[in-house]
This record gives sequence, structure tokens and C-alpha cells, in this order.
Amino acid sequence: MPSLMVLESSSVLQFAEAAVKAVATVEVIERSPLALRDAIRHAVGNVARILFASPRELPIALFSEFLNDARVVANPTPDQMVHSAAGVTEAFAGVASTGSVCIDVSYQRTGLVSLLAPLQIAVVAAETIVPRPRDLFRADMLDGKGLRRDFVFVTGPSATADMGPLVRGVHGPHKLHIIVLR
Amino acid sequence: METTLSSAEIQPRQVANKSKKKALLDAIRMTLDVQSAAVRHNTQTFNRNRYAATALLDDYDELKDRARQIKESALANLPELLRRLEASVQANGGHFYLAKTADGANQYIRDVLVRHQAKRVVKGKSITSEEIKLNHAIEAAGIAVAETDLAEFILQVADEQPSHIIAPALHYSRERITALFKRKFTTDLPLDTGEELTRFAREKLREQFIAADAGISGANLIAADSGSLMLVESEGNIRMTMTLPSLHIAIAGIEKVVPSRTDFGTFLELLPASATGQPLTSYVSILHPPLQAPPFVAPGGTAKPREFHLVLIDNGRSRMREDPVLHEALYCIRCSACLNSCANFETVGGHAFGGETYSGGIGGSWEAGTGTLMNARFSELCTACSRCVPQCPVRIDIPWLNENLRQRMNQEQPPSAAKSAFGAMTGSAAQDRVAPLQKQFFGNYHTFGKWGARFASLANASMQLPGARGLMESALGVDRRRKLPPFPKKTWEQLFREERGVKPGAIDPGVVMLADVFTNYGAPERGMAAIRVLRAVGLDVTLSPAMADGRAAMSQGMMETAQRQARALAPVLKRYADEGKKIVVLEPSVLAMLRFDFKHLLDDPGTQALLAQNSFEPLEVLWGLAQELQLDLGQIFPASKCPQGTRLFYHSHCQQKTCNSATQTIEVLRAAGFDVVTSSVECCGMAGSFGYKREYYELSMAVGEDLFAQVRRAEEEGGPRTLVASGTSCHEQLSAGLGREVFHPAELLAGTL
Repeated sequence: MPSLMVLESSSVLQFAEAAVKAVATVEVIERSPLALRDAIRHAVGNVARILFASPRELPIALFSEFLNDARVVANPTPDQMVHSAAGVTEAFAGVASTGSVCIDVSYQRTGLVSLLAPLQIAVVAAETIVPRPRDLFRADMLDGKGLRRDFVFVTGPSATADMGPLVRGVHGPHKLHIIVLR
Repeated sequence: METTLSSAEIQPRQVANKSKKKALLDAIRMTLDVQSAAVRHNTQTFNRNRYAATALLDDYDELKDRARQIKESALANLPELLRRLEASVQANGGHFYLAKTADGANQYIRDVLVRHQAKRVVKGKSITSEEIKLNHAIEAAGIAVAETDLAEFILQVADEQPSHIIAPALHYSRERITALFKRKFTTDLPLDTGEELTRFAREKLREQFIAADAGISGANLIAADSGSLMLVESEGNIRMTMTLPSLHIAIAGIEKVVPSRTDFGTFLELLPASATGQPLTSYVSILHPPLQAPPFVAPGGTAKPREFHLVLIDNGRSRMREDPVLHEALYCIRCSACLNSCANFETVGGHAFGGETYSGGIGGSWEAGTGTLMNARFSELCTACSRCVPQCPVRIDIPWLNENLRQRMNQEQPPSAAKSAFGAMTGSAAQDRVAPLQKQFFGNYHTFGKWGARFASLANASMQLPGARGLMESALGVDRRRKLPPFPKKTWEQLFREERGVKPGAIDPGVVMLADVFTNYGAPERGMAAIRVLRAVGLDVTLSPAMADGRAAMSQGMMETAQRQARALAPVLKRYADEGKKIVVLEPSVLAMLRFDFKHLLDDPGTQALLAQNSFEPLEVLWGLAQELQLDLGQIFPASKCPQGTRLFYHSHCQQKTCNSATQTIEVLRAAGFDVVTSSVECCGMAGSFGYKREYYELSMAVGEDLFAQVRRAEEEGGPRTLVASGTSCHEQLSAGLGREVFHPAELLAGTL
């Protein structure tokens, strides 16, 4: 939606552009439970089951409408863990220059939910987008969370060129959709 | 008699150890026939992408400086860092083990797995685990290991060693993977696209991940302050290896330790940009295990608490750290930029240009450091073209490492009366007279030049005698298909001395041209052309006495000879520089000696810096002057008057590119009105003496094929062009490959006067 994009801050715009270059899809939405529910619903389509990991930073209330969806599994069995089509987690930071999202992997199931399903959905707050990857290692950015946490910079879906041509979707997700909360 | 296998019958494992020269030569044959197309495609793609990605890093040079500083200080303080790291890992609740040897590491890991009652292990890519042959050790304890990186998976199925530091199966084309899988697995799937092959492997490996009792990963960097690991990947298998099973073992060499997690910030963008040419790979994990999140419990399995072991491996690294040369190799962050920018590597890959584990320009030092010196024999394939040097994110002078390895391997040779007499006669320093005859021949090229020039007609005629080339081949290993340049009747020095009626130049203090041995004894008219061109813009030109510069000797690992030559030449050149004269060098490989290599050979850093700052290529000087004085080069050197025409194909010399002096040549030619198409290959493949050597002729020509093809393509698109190159070896290679005369840019400009 180019007309709406005019309203976005330059770091969000740069982030979106870089993420698209890394073959992720990005949308910027209003920060409300209904808008978030609609965005996730639209992104997952008609999948049978959605894994969800509780956020550590964002208020859980923001996900209240989404959690009413009957397909959401908050306490999955091992079998459900490996056989679900989509996984939704928060990202505690984004990186403008690379379009990366930073996922906490030591907080409950966040790491596994962001890794095991073919479609990964990451929800990131616009104000947590930092200029460059190296900024995660600064004490004065995001309260120095990047210096303490176990996390992964996720840049696009998993990929390999080991089998000849470039293939997206290897062990990790085949698709990454990022929802930026304005 | 040893039987000669056809290249298709040679298994990579059989030629992994190259302590016997036959293994190296067999490996070259095999890779040229079987692997070359895939290796070329993949490495050249990495290479192009790296140029693009590093150009986007606005502080690329500063990042390289910082990365170098961090590694230097980390290695200097390594014992202290290891103590801090041990404390950090233990404070996190993990276990720390420092293994002195490969066996020690394998035993520890096996014991941990047995104690954990592990039956199935999943592994992320770790070249260090290849170095210690970890899989064998684990499998010997009855524990199954699944390599989960798709490239490592291919190698495990094929039972081959890695051919590249970051893409270990890049020698496999998609077609060969399909054939391999069809041979090794029973499946009805067609497996004839990258997607199908990937899906097939993913499904196989997903079962392994779910059932795994333990995960073994490597680590790209380890921070002592917090016990943090940095792991770079794109497939997601390393994340799974580290987070699904309850037991995680990370193994790495001790050189991977840096002081603090904040240091990761310096390498974070530099590493992927230098490696695959991506701003970041899909996943960069930053963890200080054991993780707080619960492990994955397989359906029907029982939950276990997480357990983490960091196993650091010495295996020769402490010895490397004390080594005056090899310690530089410990700075390596294993990005593979030196492999991908190497013309020889691009053509054969790591199964020829590599040992049992490590490959490419940096690989020789690693094989020698963690194994035996003679297994670094493949480092002979480093021609010291220097294209890797500006690509290295930690500024390792890789050719220097390989030239020193060559010296050490020369020293392992048994002395002989013949070699000793040959060396004494031709100018080898005492220590270098154990080197093979072929090396001493090429290393002392200036002596042959001197003799040849004195008796030019006799020397040239004798090369025409029946059997002469055969004798050169059998005695000195000079390939009979190559023509050594004929000796001129008069050297450059003589032509210069005999000149009459030269008016002094208007520009003070003028320049001195170094009568390098290649031009003096091989192409004196080219030297005179350069002098005429410089005079045409008003420069006064003197010629220095013809002296060896050490390049030829150094390239053969004759370091003492090289040092002696450099130390004799430096004071001569210094006197000119002290007068304020610019030192002009026609041969790019000699310019690179003055700019870069003398720092290793001279004991006076002041002289080295003076020579480095005051030496230039002729057209570099010309371009600078044209800018400064607003000269109209099109009027001074009107291209329309050039007898060879105005349409050129220009190939810049490898060392000229590293000296950053190629662009000025192109600017001058264009300003004079020439229409210039340029090559984009890193090196022509001749690389000084390399392509003359009988055993490397085929490889040299295969490397050259990329350049020849670029010429053909340019001419198919827009008609014939005059071939132009700045380096002596590039001339030889281009005329050998295309059967045409090749000109130096200065010759074309002189022709317009």
C-alpha cells in the first residue's frame, strides 16, 4: 500500500525494503488486537493449526482477538509441534539495514515455534527497529538486551544452494511474514 | 610402475593427503575433468556477490582494521581469555573442556555421549570436526551421526572430504547430486530439481532431528566475557541442532575466542559479506548455552534437563601461535573470500587445491599447523597473484604464508651436488640450494636473462635446436608447449644508454624507471615505449641499473635469495626517492614487491615505507600528471593515429589490481580516445612461472580459458579488438591462448606519437 507507506518513519521503510530484498513479506499495521488478528489471519490463510508462543515484551492483550481463533495451539503436543503449518512469535527487535527480526530463543517456546513450522510470522514493534545489526551489541540500544539474551537474527526464510540452484525452505521456515506494529 | 587411473576412477578421499606429489597431480586431473564446471560456477558467484556486498558496507575498511585488531589482541592474550571463558561457561551452568589433541577431544565427546546414553546425534556443519575426524570416533562407539547441513549430508553419503571451507560440497553439480542419491537411496522420486533434492534430504533429516539425543555444532566466534557463541547459517539445521536435543556440544578451535560479546558486532556484517556476499545469512544465532527454554521432547519421549559442553581444540594451534609465520593463519575467520577470489581455486576447487580438511590459499597453513608440513604441498597452487589479499577481512597476507611453506618444504628436500652446483652458479643463496632444479631455474631467472642477453643469438638459436625444449622439460620442468620469451639482442639498459639527442624534460625532479629483469631481458622495446610516453608529457626519465627484485626467488620459496636481492636493490632505489624522484615500474609484479612484499624482506621499515609510497606504474604517473596539469591526453596521444587501431580489449594484471593501479591505465587509454573493453577475471592463469611448469600447464590453460572466452565474446559482439595487457605473463598467456600479438598500453600510446 504505497499511499500508506508515506506515513511510515524512514527506519520502518528501510526495514521493509531490506526485508523484501531478503525475500520476506512485510506489512505495517495499526497497534490494536483487531488489526493484529486480521493481519495474522490473512497471512496464514486456511491452515489447520497455528503455533503460538507468548510474547515477552508486547502486552499479551494485543493478541487477545487472535487467540480466539480456534486453530491456535498455545500448548502443543510434540506431534503438533512438528506438524503445524504456521508459527507466530514476537520479535524483540528489528534491523533496518538488513530487514532482520531478532527472536528470543531462550524464552519458553519462542525459538521452536519460530523454527519448526513452514510459515513463520514475526510481530515486531516499530520502535524496536535499530539501524544496523551491530547495534544489538550496544549497551545503549534496547536497554542492552542484545548483550544478555539468547537470540537469532532471522533474515528471510531458510535457504540453501547446496543442491545446485538456490532453494528457499530447507530445515527452517519456507516463508517469513513480518508484521510491524506502528 | 604405478598405474595411472583415469580421472573418473580417482576418488577424492584417495588424493586428500597430498604429501606425495602424485596425489596432487592426480587430484588436478580429476577435478579438471569432473568438478571444474560446478566449482567455477559456485565460487565465481560467491566472488561476484562478495564484491557487491562489501561495496555496500560504508565502513568496510574500518571493520577490517577492527576485526584484525580484535583477533591480534585475542591471540596475544589467549591463555587469559581461555581462563575467563572457562569461568563464564561454568557460571552459565555449562561444562568447559580444553583438548590438547584431536584424540583428546574425540574421547571427551564420546564419553559425554555415552554418559548421556545418546544413540543418535545430529550435527551442524563444523570443519573443525572434520579436522579431528570426530564422526569416526563417535561411530566407533556405536552411536549414529547424521550430518544435517545439506552439503555435509552429501559428503557423508558420498564419503568425501570437504572441497571448500563454507560450502563443502560445492564441487557437486545438481546433476551429480541426483545421480549420487539415486545410487545410494532406493526411491521412486525423480529428484531432478534442486527443490526435490532439498525436500528429499529435509524429510530424511527431520526424522533425525526429532529422534536425536544430542546435537553437535561448531561456532564462528566465542566470547570469553559471557561464554556466548555466534553461529552463522542459512538452512536452520544449526538452530535445530542447538535447540531441539537436551544435550548440546559445541566444538571449536581455540583461535575462535574473542574477549567480549560486543566484539561480535564487528564480525557480524563483515563475515557474511565476505563469505556468501549476503548482508546477513538467514540465521545468525547469539547464545550463551545452556538455553533456558525447554528442549524438544519427541512423541513418547521423556524430558531431560538441558546440558551444554564447550570443547575447545588446540591440536597444533598453540604451536602455530608461537610460529613467526603461521600465527597469522589463526586470525582466519573462515569466510572463504581467499578461495573465491583465487583463479586456480575457481578452476579446480579444494579437492585439488586443498588437503584432508582445509583448502585454498589459507588451507596450506592450516594443514601444516594442525597436521604435517608435506600435506600442505597443495599450497604450490598459490601463485602469489595476491588477489586474495585485499579480500581478506582480517588482512592476512596469504601469499606470504604460502611462500614460507614453500621454503620449508624446499628445506625438507634432500641436498644434492647437482642442485648445489646449479644454485651456486645461478645465484641461489646458500640456504636455498636444496630447492629443486626447476624452482632454482625460475627463481634465478635474472641470471639466465643476463647470460642469455650476452649471447642472445646463441641462446635463442640453441632453443631452436632439435631436442632443446625436451631437454628444458626433462631437466628443468619447463613445459615444452610453452615458449620462453626469446632473449633480445640488446637489453633495455643498452638501448637506453645508446639513445642520442634526448632533450631534458621540463618537469623537475623527473622520474626513474626501474629496469626490472622481466622487461630488461624479455621486452626492452616495451620499456623504451614507456620512456617515450613519459617524456611526451615533459617528464625527465632516468633508468636504474637492472637488478633482481626478489619476486622470482620469493615465488619459488627461495626466501634467503629474495631477501638478499631486495636488500641490495632497496638502497639503490632509495637514493632516487631521496632526490624526490618517483620510481616508475613497468612490471606490476615488481611494483607489488615495492609496495607490499618488501615489508617482509627489508629490515628497515623507513626505507620500505618510502619505496612503497613513491613507486608507481607508468600510466598511473601519467594519469596523476594529466589531472594535475589539466593535460589533454587526446591531443598528446591521439588514438586515431595508433597503428593497432582504437578498439582494445584490456586485461589488467592480478597484482596490478591489488595495487589499485589498473583503473588509471584504463582512464588514460579512454582519455586518449581508445574504445576499451576490459576483462573481469582475477588472474590470467600464467602467474609468473606457474604456467611454464610442466605439471601445471593444463591447469594454467584451463584458468586462462575464462579470459580467452571473454575476449571471444567481446569480439563476437562488436568485431575484432587489439589485445592489451600490462603484465609480462599475461602477454605470454594471451598469445598462447589466442595465437595473437599482445601489446602493452605504453606501446599503443607510444605508437600515437
